[in-house]
Amino acid sequence: MSSRRSRMRQAGVSRISEDQIADLVSKLQQLIPEIRNRRSDRVSASEVLQETCNYIKNLHREVDDLSDRLSQLLESIDSDSAQAAIIRSLLM
Amino acid sequence: MKARTGYSTSLKQEFLKKWIKGIRIYSNFKKDMNILERKKAIKLSADLAIASTRNASTRWSRTLTANISKNETNKIFVEQIFSDSEVIKKEAPSRLMARSNRIASKKIWRRSHITQIKARKMGPYAVKARSIAKKLVKNRTKVLKSLVPGGENMDGISLIKETLDYIVSLRVQVDVMRRLASAAENSTRSL
Repeated sequence: MSSRRSRMRQAGVSRISEDQIADLVSKLQQLIPEIRNRRSDRVSASEVLQETCNYIKNLHREVDDLSDRLSQLLESIDSDSAQAAIIRSLLM
Repeated sequence: MKARTGYSTSLKQEFLKKWIKGIRIYSNFKKDMNILERKKAIKLSADLAIASTRNASTRWSRTLTANISKNETNKIFVEQIFSDSEVIKKEAPSRLMARSNRIASKKIWRRSHITQIKARKMGPYAVKARSIAKKLVKNRTKVLKSLVPGGENMDGISLIKETLDYIVSLRVQVDVMRRLASAAENSTRSL
């Protein structure tokens, strides 16, 4: 019957992509320090997603903080020092 | 999109070179910057640099570059940076929309049909628990989409692949910026 065949094909397709998704999710788990350091093997999808989002937010914040730090450093560098000249020639 | 699970020294070097180039071009643009302008120069150059390491091969990098270029003042600056390298490609949303609408309506039909079948097999409590879990995943996926540039139109495997690449790139960006910041701090302190 055509409907059964199409249902089986659907099941076959979704099985392949579930494996792919599982593989990608495990790669994600490897990347995120929060989850990688946990002992337990089974982490739920929603946990992976939440930790991923938190991790990305933290990385965004770090970029912002580092930009702050660097801009302050360039402001506060004593203009006569040799180091200042090096840094300035590097960046400006 | 080539998969990239670890990051190499050459990638960090490429980012550093492009980042510094961007800061230099920006400084030539605006001669006397206050501290806020300087921060913007540093951050904007860093974002453009890390996006350009992907050579427009990922959605997040194209979206990030396009978003920065949308601002009129930034556009001239961006064009100068990319003058000798890759072109800034524009995303074509309209073509994607029609196809995704068709797929979305098919999914909605299939989902409602499957829920009915499952309710008959699993019993109401299990169905409720699973639907709560699904809602959680759905809401968190929505947050993820808002965090990854260009994520709003992606789903499933593509979203996860883009997320992986984006996270690896962000880590390179943070790593190099952090090292430059500590090197600069140490050198001024040693006086």
